[in-house]
Amino acid sequence: MLRLLRRWHARIGFAAMLFFLILAVTGLALNHGPDLGLEGRFVHAEWLARWYGIKSEPPRHVFRSGHHVLAAANGRWLLDGKISGEKLPPPVGLVELADVFVVASNAALYVYRGNGQLIERLGPGALPDSPVQAIGSSARRIVLRTASGVFASADTLSWRRASERSVRWSVPAELSISEQRAYEEALAPGILVEQLLLDLHSGRFAGRYGPLVVDLLALLLVVLSLSGAWLFLVPRMHGGKL
Amino acid sequence: MSWRPRRSLALFMLALGAVAAGLARGEIYQEPDAFVAEVFGSKPAPKVLWLTRDIQAQAAAILGHPPAQLRQRYWSDSHRSVWILEEIGKEELITAGFVVVDGRIDHVRVLVYRESRGQEVRTPSFLKQFKEAKLALGDRLDRGIDGIAGATLSVAAIERMARLALFFDRIGRK
Repeated sequence: MLRLLRRWHARIGFAAMLFFLILAVTGLALNHGPDLGLEGRFVHAEWLARWYGIKSEPPRHVFRSGHHVLAAANGRWLLDGKISGEKLPPPVGLVELADVFVVASNAALYVYRGNGQLIERLGPGALPDSPVQAIGSSARRIVLRTASGVFASADTLSWRRASERSVRWSVPAELSISEQRAYEEALAPGILVEQLLLDLHSGRFAGRYGPLVVDLLALLLVVLSLSGAWLFLVPRMHGGKL
Repeated sequence: MSWRPRRSLALFMLALGAVAAGLARGEIYQEPDAFVAEVFGSKPAPKVLWLTRDIQAQAAAILGHPPAQLRQRYWSDSHRSVWILEEIGKEELITAGFVVVDGRIDHVRVLVYRESRGQEVRTPSFLKQFKEAKLALGDRLDRGIDGIAGATLSVAAIERMARLALFFDRIGRK
């Protein structure tokens, strides 16, 4: 009887080993997410987005200034070939001044150094008006077009009403199919790491029957615990060690 | 499709929708502009503090991560300064306004809250703990701040921003 139990204990343990490891690793990672720096992190992979049924939006166009290129899709910006952040709004334009460049969205301006380092994000309170409809440049000034008029600033600190004359507005440029594919790959939508871990841990990652498999694993763990206790205790009881 | 994680997908899309809605607006308790105008009577012209490498390093030590931007705007007169700062609680940015008078916090207000939980950090009973707080050794607050169950990360974010506002005020007055 003990030999049979030992054999099945080993078989069940071995068969479920991989799943138990997944449960243990994902459980540990979920418990210590903040310490491991997982909070707010995303995993970006096209196959994963497809698995989650998230439709990847390819970038339709890019904004180009003298030295900089911006493509955006799926809440991500690719600035000069580097990902700039997550959950970003669609840009409405990009302009370049002497040593900085500025990206405008409807509700904010993002001022960057030439090397792509963010100098400042200007929210609605720091703008003359919002939403921003277009951004351009004129005589070393940034120019914004809003519903209430056109405003210009040399330092993004103070804004004055301005004329549209001689403004070079930032306009989107069409992408070729090959460019679109290349950008789409780089701008693949992301899944929160914590969401992914939670789905792996609960079994939901595997779909409708995933949680049932995890339930089965829980039952197997109960069986292993009981059989392990039996294998440990019974020989000792019979041997008079207890 | 039946074997795909439908429920998870629905939850994810729901969360994504909520995030998008939150990003679009958040829970705005007071516009930052209005907060500044309330302190000074009218909105003065902003000043800027450039974060040099040294300041960035000290700010990073306070925040636990590098500051998000290289330039911080603020408003000040002879003895007061106002700082509108943003910091992530758990996943979303919290925007808070800090009024610093003579190196001590006069008052704090949560202006925009975008997280789904932890809004209790905006209550006066929590925020009044910061009144008269100043920086002690190691750029820490000179007092302990009582936490709020269920809002631990938001509390920590407000505390980090309070330390940063006091630090920036000290630098801005040099």
